[in-house]
Amino acid sequence: MVAEIEERVVPHEPGPDESVGARWRPAGFLLALPSLAVFVGVGFIPLALIAMWSFWSFDPDTYWIKPAWSFASYAALLENGRATVFLRTAGLAALTATASTLLAVPAAAVVGLLSGPRRAALLLALFTIPFFTSGLVRAFAWRLVLGRQGVINNALMSLGIVETPVEWLLFSDFAVLLGMVAAYLPFAIVPIVLAFARIEHSVIRASQDLGAGFWTVLATIVLPLVLPGIVAGFLFVFVVAVGTSMEIQLLGGAGASSISIMINDVLRVVNFPLAFAIATVVITLLTVLIIIANRALRLSRLFESLGI
Amino acid sequence: MSFDPIVTGRTSGGRLLFTTITALSLAIMYAPVLYLLLASLNPDAQLGLVPPSRYSLKWYFALLDDGRLAGALKESALVGLATAALATPIGLSAALAYRAMTRLRGVFLLVILSAMFVPGTIEGLGLSATLRVVGLAPSWVTIAIGHLLWTLPFAAVVSLIGLSAVRPSTIAAARDLGAGPIRAFVDITLPLMRTNLISSFVFAFLLSLNEQARAYYLAGRQNTLPLYMFGAMNSGASPTIYAFSGAIIVISVAVVALFFAGLVGQQSRR
Repeated sequence: MVAEIEERVVPHEPGPDESVGARWRPAGFLLALPSLAVFVGVGFIPLALIAMWSFWSFDPDTYWIKPAWSFASYAALLENGRATVFLRTAGLAALTATASTLLAVPAAAVVGLLSGPRRAALLLALFTIPFFTSGLVRAFAWRLVLGRQGVINNALMSLGIVETPVEWLLFSDFAVLLGMVAAYLPFAIVPIVLAFARIEHSVIRASQDLGAGFWTVLATIVLPLVLPGIVAGFLFVFVVAVGTSMEIQLLGGAGASSISIMINDVLRVVNFPLAFAIATVVITLLTVLIIIANRALRLSRLFESLGI
Repeated sequence: MSFDPIVTGRTSGGRLLFTTITALSLAIMYAPVLYLLLASLNPDAQLGLVPPSRYSLKWYFALLDDGRLAGALKESALVGLATAALATPIGLSAALAYRAMTRLRGVFLLVILSAMFVPGTIEGLGLSATLRVVGLAPSWVTIAIGHLLWTLPFAAVVSLIGLSAVRPSTIAAARDLGAGPIRAFVDITLPLMRTNLISSFVFAFLLSLNEQARAYYLAGRQNTLPLYMFGAMNSGASPTIYAFSGAIIVISVAVVALFFAGLVGQQSRR
């Protein structure tokens, strides 16, 4: 009984919640089992299997693969301009992430610094809602805006600024970049907003009392404090942009490719081992990237500002 | 979370600049879709806007006669409901596990969230190859399995946020009054988390409904909505595609907006 009382006096937050597991430690692990089973069974095992199968060979008898070990698929990664597709995908993702971060930092500052609670909640909702809508529709909608008879070209021509429609607006890298930034901006904004929420208000008040103007506070106090959120936001957009294909398929020019499109193309000629090899390289690189970022930034701490 | 306005007073143009960038961000996120919505109300076959007096739901009614669309809708609904029905309790269980854990909770959270960052094409490829070896034929079941992994991180985070609103003292009070851990969970925790569990279900459903890359690999003969839509978008734009896109956006936005309205209402009552 005494032990029980003492246990209750211990401050509850932010440590583990005692409602479930205090007296029965294994509860945490039992409760973790269903989600871990999904992670292992649906996520980890298939990825480990295709990593193994990337070293097997195509079997023309079964139109599948056979365990004849070879590095041929990895050698083929460097053929037919596939390395270029890797670089282009990474470059486009980096550009998307940079543009998204440049928009997200001021937007998150408006939410986190310059708004009252009501407007902050409204803005956060507006930035989150598109995430739950169809990415396909959002990408497709850009065609109506950027096309030869789209909103922008119609406006430019009726204002007499151009005589013929501007061609590079649609089916171009520009269109893809715009579509991707619009689609993945929330991935940058949310972690930065979470980082803003962790700032002690008194620190900012104190520096203002000492005479620091808005830009000084921003550069010397705020930005260093939210830097982990900014890097996390950049990384989230980069990782998601590396894996996408629909913006390129709907808005990209002729011959525009990406890693995902390359995988689809390779599968069309049933070259399973090569598709598996491409997938394995991408997953390995992304995993390394996320592990390094987590080591450097303790990404999971960002969630503390959600109160979890 | 607290969002008190921190910076007030003079900002040397900072407020203006930042507000402009925020407005620009919202514009690129919303303007094209809003334009598509208005264009879908144009009764003519030609693309473009018409005055509001001529708005018509003609193309929306035309959707009702599309048999392939009905099949895709049914398939997507089936996949979405199955995904949400699984993701919600498993996400809740993951959230409870995180709260009960003393060690490794950061690693556990990272593991659960990592599924968000696996490219859809690669997850679809890996899972379809594995299920092929296991001998499970592609159907709505295989899509739901893929979507479960995709939606689980979101379901877990929504449950975690809900769980953080349950005060440990409330649970402690129930325990002091003699309730066992399960009784306290059923009578106190679950009712307090009701809104979050509903939104966890709704979000999982919407994410599944709109997912294309995984479904591309995991679908059987019957297409889901995004697969059907993608095909239609690439085979020449017809007015019905605008109507169809409009319908799916309106439904998604309405559901999420209702959730946020409920959340704000809940907070102001507290």
